[in-house]
This record gives sequence, C-alpha cells and structure tokens, in this order.
Amino acid sequence: MAGKQDYYRTIHKKWLFILVCSLLMLVALVFSLSIGMYNLDFVECYRILIDHLTGNITDIYADDIVVNTRLPIGVFAIIVGAVLALGGAVMQSMLRNPLADPYTMGVSSGALLGASIAIVLGNGVMPFFNDSWIRIIMAFGFSLIPVAVILIFSFKRSVTATKIILIGIAMMYIFSAVVQLLMITASEETLAEIYSWRVGTLALTTWETIPIPLGISLVCGAVLMYHHRRINVMMAGSKSAHSMGVDPEKTILVEITLVSLMTAAVVCFTGTIGFVGLVGPHIARLFIGSESKHLLPASAVIGGLFLLLANCIARVSGEYGLPVGVISAIIGCPLFIFILVKMRRKSAWN
Amino acid sequence: MSDVEFESGKEEYKSSITKKVMFLLICLAVLILTTVVSCSVGTGYEFTKTLEVIWDHIIGRTYEPRSPDWWADYYIFNNVMPGVIMALIAGAGLALAGTVMQSMMENPLADAYTTGISSGACLGAVVAIIMGFSYSTVISGAGIVINAFIGSLIPAIIVILMVRYIGNSPSTIILVGTALTFFFNSLVTLVMITASAESLQDAYIWQVGSVTNASWSDMPLMLVMTIASAILVQISSSKLNIMALGEKSAKSLGLDVVQFRMLCIILTSVLIASIISFTGIIGFIGLVAPHMTRYLVGGDNKFVVPGSMIMGSTVLVVADLVSRSLMSFGNIPIGVVMSFIGAPVFLYLIVRRKSQKDVF
Repeated sequence: MAGKQDYYRTIHKKWLFILVCSLLMLVALVFSLSIGMYNLDFVECYRILIDHLTGNITDIYADDIVVNTRLPIGVFAIIVGAVLALGGAVMQSMLRNPLADPYTMGVSSGALLGASIAIVLGNGVMPFFNDSWIRIIMAFGFSLIPVAVILIFSFKRSVTATKIILIGIAMMYIFSAVVQLLMITASEETLAEIYSWRVGTLALTTWETIPIPLGISLVCGAVLMYHHRRINVMMAGSKSAHSMGVDPEKTILVEITLVSLMTAAVVCFTGTIGFVGLVGPHIARLFIGSESKHLLPASAVIGGLFLLLANCIARVSGEYGLPVGVISAIIGCPLFIFILVKMRRKSAWN
Repeated sequence: MSDVEFESGKEEYKSSITKKVMFLLICLAVLILTTVVSCSVGTGYEFTKTLEVIWDHIIGRTYEPRSPDWWADYYIFNNVMPGVIMALIAGAGLALAGTVMQSMMENPLADAYTTGISSGACLGAVVAIIMGFSYSTVISGAGIVINAFIGSLIPAIIVILMVRYIGNSPSTIILVGTALTFFFNSLVTLVMITASAESLQDAYIWQVGSVTNASWSDMPLMLVMTIASAILVQISSSKLNIMALGEKSAKSLGLDVVQFRMLCIILTSVLIASIISFTGIIGFIGLVAPHMTRYLVGGDNKFVVPGSMIMGSTVLVVADLVSRSLMSFGNIPIGVVMSFIGAPVFLYLIVRRKSQKDVF
C-alpha cells in the first residue's frame, strides 16, 4: 500500500503547490496596488481595501487611485495571464506540440487585423459605437475567423493537429500581410496607435473592461477543466484516443474553439501579450507534470501570478512604463532557462 | 508476395520516382524562366532584349562606353540582377535550413529561425543602426552586416551550450530557442523605444527583410554557404529521413542522433547567418516552402531538400518581381508580397489534399 500512499502524497503536493501559488497571487495583487506614481505602502493599501469594503472611506483620493485605477489593472492582469496560460496548456496538449500557444490558431493576428482596420477607418465601420468599443468588437470578430475557417474545413476533410497548425500559420501570414499593407498607407499617428496595440498593454483597464472577458473566460475555462480527461487522452496521440473511446477530431475542434473564444475575449481588450501563453504552461509542467487535471489550474495560477508581477515591473520601468510583453520576456526568459537547468530531468514532453 | 506483384510494385515505385524527378525539373525550368523575366521587369527593356544583354555579357562582349547597349548592360547587371540573384540564393538557403530544422526537430512549427537566430541578428543590426555601436570600425552597411552576423550566432551558441546541461531532446532545443527569441526580441523593442524616427524606419525595413540594396560583393559568402550546405544536406538526406522517424528509431538504425543534430544546428546557423545578415529577416520561406514541397512531392527528404530549395527560390524571386513592379504604388516589402501570394497557395495545398495522412 506504500505505492498508493506515495501517489496520494504527490497529488497532495500538487494541490498544495497550486494553493500556495494562489495565495502568493493574492499577496502580489495587494502589493501591485502600492506601485505607481502616488506613493502608498503595502499596509496602507491593505487598509484602504478593507476600508472600502466596510464602507468606511477615510481618504477619498487614495481610495479612488487604489480601487478605481490600480485594482482593475491588477485583477485584469491576473485574468489575462490565467486565460493565456490555460489556453496555452490546452493547445500544447491537444496539438502535442511544445511550440503551440493560444495564438497558434491565428487569434492574435486576426485580432490585430480587426483592430488595425478599426483604427485606420475610424468611426466609419460602425457609427453607433464609440472608438474603443469598435476596436474591441472588430478585434474580437476578426480573431475568430481562423477558427471558423478550420471548423468549415472540418466539414469537408478530416482535421489533424498538423493541419490545424498549418492552417493557423497560413491565416496568420495572410492577416499580417494585410496589416502591413494597412500600415504602409497609414499616417504616422495611426501607425503609432497600431504599433502600441500590437505590443499589448494593460494600462487602459477600467472596471468596465472586466465583466465580459471574465464571464467568457470563466465559462470556457470551466468547460476546459471539465474536459481534462479528454485532453489527457489526446496527449497520447489520436490513435490511442480513438481506442480509448474519444473522438480525436471532435475533441480537438471543441477545445480549440473554446481556447480561441476565451483568448479572443481577452486579447481584444489588451492587444497581443506574448510569452505568458507559451512559457506559463511550460513552467507549470516542470513543477506539476503533464496531468491535465493539475496542469490546467496550475498553468492558470502561474500565468496570472507571472503577468501580474511583470506588469508591476513594467509600470515602473522607463519614463512612461514599458509594454508588459517586453518585461515578461526579459524577466521570464532567464527564469525559464534557470528552471529548465535546475529541474534537469527530462522535460514532460518525452 | 509473388514475383509478379513485386515486379509491378517496383515498376510503380520507379515511375513515381520518375514523376517526382520530372516535377522537380519542371519547377527548376520555371524558376530559371522566372529569374530571367524578373531581370527584365522594371528595366524598361523588353524580355528578348534582356536575354540578349545577359547572353552577350556571358560570352564576354564589350561595348563602347556610354553607348545605349553599354548602359543597358550596366543597368541590368549592376542595378537589377544583384537583387534577383540574391533573392534566388536567399530563398534556396532559407528553405534548405527550414527543411533541415523541421525534419530534425520532428516539428511542423519549426523553421529556419527556431533556435533564435533571427532575433539575435535583429538585435545586432538594430544596435548598429540605432546606437551606432558596431564590432567593426565601420558603422555603415558593413557594420550592420558584421553586427547581424555576430548577433545571429549568439543565440545559436547559447542553445548549443545549454543543450549539454538540460538534455538534447528536440523539445528542449525548441523551448530554449523560443525563450531566447522572446528575450532578444524584447531587447530589440527596448532599443527601439529610444530611437529616432529615421533610424526606426531603417530598423523596421531591416526587420522585414529586403533584397533591393543588394550588390555583387554581398553574394560570395551566401552563395558558397548555400551550395556547400545543400551538398552536405543532400548527401545526408537519408539520415534526415531516419531522424524524422523519431529519436528511438533513429538510434536503433545506427544513427548518432545527438551528434547529427548538433552538426545540423551548427550548419543551419552559419548558413542562415550568412544570408540574413545581408538581407534582413525574411520570414515565411523557411517555414512554408518545405511544407509546400512536402505536399507536392511527399515526405522523402531526397526530394524535399532540392524541391524546397527550388520552391523557396521561386517564391522569393516572384515576390521580388511583384514587389518591384508595384513600386509605383509605394514601397511594399517583399515579405508582405510573399505572404500575399504564398499564404493562399499554401492554404489551397492544405485544403486540397484528400488523404487522411499527414506528410509529416
């Protein structure tokens, strides 16, 4: 019975790891509130939060900064990081490819194209909405085109992981070519705007931003978690999946649709934030292993924590802050390689 | 299996081989034709005139200086042809590197730049363009080239050194390469934040790649590297086939997987570095040309290697041609043209294929 106990112990350890990371994330969230031009320390932020919750606001100015400016950014960083890393974990498992990330389907290039069209054409596309909402709606719509193409394709031919990847690549190239054409004809200001959309930012977040992506990603994330057994089976390859009673084609289509949907829901608000979706799951894999039941929540938590911290650093570095994608790569890459070396065991892929 | 069946199978195999060889020869002919046509586009001379000029140049005819024929010869040979030939060589080299990488990593998402070469080169070039810092004393074209060359080898060297410590499975190499790509790209962004508008423009052009400013003196290094690598890879194409079966099968078939992989990485790194330090980062070909070729001739590397070289050259030469003939509508980068033409063709090839089997 020792084996059984050992097994339970490792399972407990994994859940403990996820729990510790979640707690760290909460602490980091409060810590992130103290960062910025207006000086506040950690304890003060904590007190302001408590005061706000109990309705006993003492300093209106500080309360406004913490609750209405910094808190939504921190919360959204967690949501975005969690969604991207969770999506990355699912894509990597489904496509059995360590290079896959939530953007492999062409979500990011589609979103960029939608946003660029909205930026270049301005109010002309949809006259009834204001600028930022047009951008968001266009980005959301365009980012779902590649997955729609794959779904249409699947009616006529069988889909495999390789084909999905290749279709994603082709769509990505077409989209980015159109974007570059738009950028050639665009004026300098529009160019700057497109460029800043492309590198992605969390700085524009307000409380109004959060409900839609949160709702969509909670639903999609919950369904993905519910499918964790299927995702596990898919990792064994499509033949094995068949013999274990899972229809690989249908499963792939369902999961990639879910991932694209929730990725699109966050990307259309933030622009394309890279790195987390690719590396977050790998870091989680190194600690947790490839079992989806633990890998998916662990990726989400690590992704959220990572993007939150990266965003803190991004906000205070440089004169006006730097794009969060840049900071996450500069810090994340050495960290990632360090973890790879430290673990030293064969990566979970083999 | 009876003898008759065996014989008919053999016949079939031979005829399929002949078909593939024929197909490659036709592609080669198309490539040569396109190249010559491309030399006449944008010159104002007719196609036949261009042919004549090139032929005359080859047989060593000389003209009276500043006569119309002399000008034609001068213009075609010094302004137009370097770009075309560079597109030819770069296309072949990048596609070759992509083929090797994809077979070696057993990964359809791998391309010529998977080990982070492009981002390193980009950092080198951008540093030279924006900060004026260079390893050589000349801060101009040559400075950028040298910086890009050295920069591109840095990630490759890091990957090769890292592999000792963290194992040499394809996935580890890919992961380290991807992480390095992100890292160097973000350094590029950091450098570019400080840049002025002009140098930003230069840096941007370098990042999307171009063959317009080519000159004959750029050619020797990349030509030699491409030919040498092509011969080496073609000789070891059966080994690449074995590698694509997976590491275990390759080992059991007597291939020193680790050593072979290292050799491949070193070879492709130097090859790509010698190309992109002159052209800038030309995407698409290294990833897509091998796939297109596999869809057309199947997965045997004996044919995929020459096939994708021809395919890569054709795509890049055509893209250069189109990009030059659209010059009056604005300066459309060759990479954009390439995606516009190449990506739908690629999509069509994927969709058209009926069989369930992946060529990979």
